[in-house]
Amino acid sequence: MNLQEQIVSGKGYAILPIENLDNFNKLRDQFIEKMQLYTKEKKLDKLRMIMTSMSKSQINDLMVSLLSFDQASEILVDSCKNIVSSLSGDRIFLQRRANIIFNLPGEDQRRQWPHYELMSGVSPFTYIMWAPFHDLDDDGGVFYLDQNKSFEMIQEEHQKGIVNGPAILNKEYNEKPAKLKYGEVIVFNPFILHGNINFKSNLARIACSVRFQSIQKPLLQKDTDYFKFYKV
Amino acid sequence: MSVATVTTDINIGPFKIPSNGQNMIMNNYAQRKNIKVEFVIPEPMTSNQLATTQWCHKDYRFTKVILCSIHQLPKEENNLNDLINNMSEVEFHFALEGISGKGKNFLLDCLSEVKAFLNAEKLDSSKTDWIELYNLFKSKNL
Repeated sequence: MNLQEQIVSGKGYAILPIENLDNFNKLRDQFIEKMQLYTKEKKLDKLRMIMTSMSKSQINDLMVSLLSFDQASEILVDSCKNIVSSLSGDRIFLQRRANIIFNLPGEDQRRQWPHYELMSGVSPFTYIMWAPFHDLDDDGGVFYLDQNKSFEMIQEEHQKGIVNGPAILNKEYNEKPAKLKYGEVIVFNPFILHGNINFKSNLARIACSVRFQSIQKPLLQKDTDYFKFYKV
Repeated sequence: MSVATVTTDINIGPFKIPSNGQNMIMNNYAQRKNIKVEFVIPEPMTSNQLATTQWCHKDYRFTKVILCSIHQLPKEENNLNDLINNMSEVEFHFALEGISGKGKNFLLDCLSEVKAFLNAEKLDSSKTDWIELYNLFKSKNL
């Protein structure tokens, strides 16, 4: 089963090695450089530790400030050119500002509610790449329901006339977060239900994600506010 | 240094943004970029040439102009050329896209991007549902 088949007809997601790790290292290093505004710490694990003691508002400020890291989306895509072009060709609409996402350990932390990417208004032909800046040794990563289970949830809610309602938000998920290694990326379609769980660790999780679609495929609600034209 | 924000018609490419919403978007952008806004230029409803902005520029010599989106640029070649010629030294900022620059090449690149998006097929989210979108994803990708 090739990548397109895995993502469209199979599980709906795939974990793959990043093709150009040197390039991805640059992305991680540039992130550390941007963090120098907040701390002089240059070791990623130390940064992760410092982040666990930041307040929610400091974390929010940090994530907003990282929106100006507008080369991140191109660097991530350029690190995975074959993956991107095999799914969407080499002329794509690429998310302008990649998300640098933190997941903090402990209860009562901000976390990604279970959701499908489609809910944000991206097209059904948009794919998502998500890569951590370090090994995921604990449960700080993201869990993914496979395509069949995700679609069952969509159908169940659809019959009730709701989307992303209590059935999804309050469900007890048995799925464990995917334990990616540094240098791996997970690619998934916008109907895959995913989210975080509370986890115990001394370190925050840091990852980068980006969305893209072929320019030959239709857009939904996202336009130039979110995507830019990019040649892979 | 003189900086202006520009509000335009509510219909901005694919977006519908009332002028108070436009002001919020541009002022938030200016705040994040530490830019002090001195002028607020209201372009008339349905106008798509940024002509008022160009007339005001003659008197106030703007250094920076902030707009909500690249979709507010004039789309007709003659109108865009007027803007390029009259305001070549002005730095344009587009808040939603988060991009800025000045001069002919920058503005032509922006317009080229606008056209790429205008030419893209669009799905009408008000006339579909999740199941239909899922089926479309499956059928059009096989």
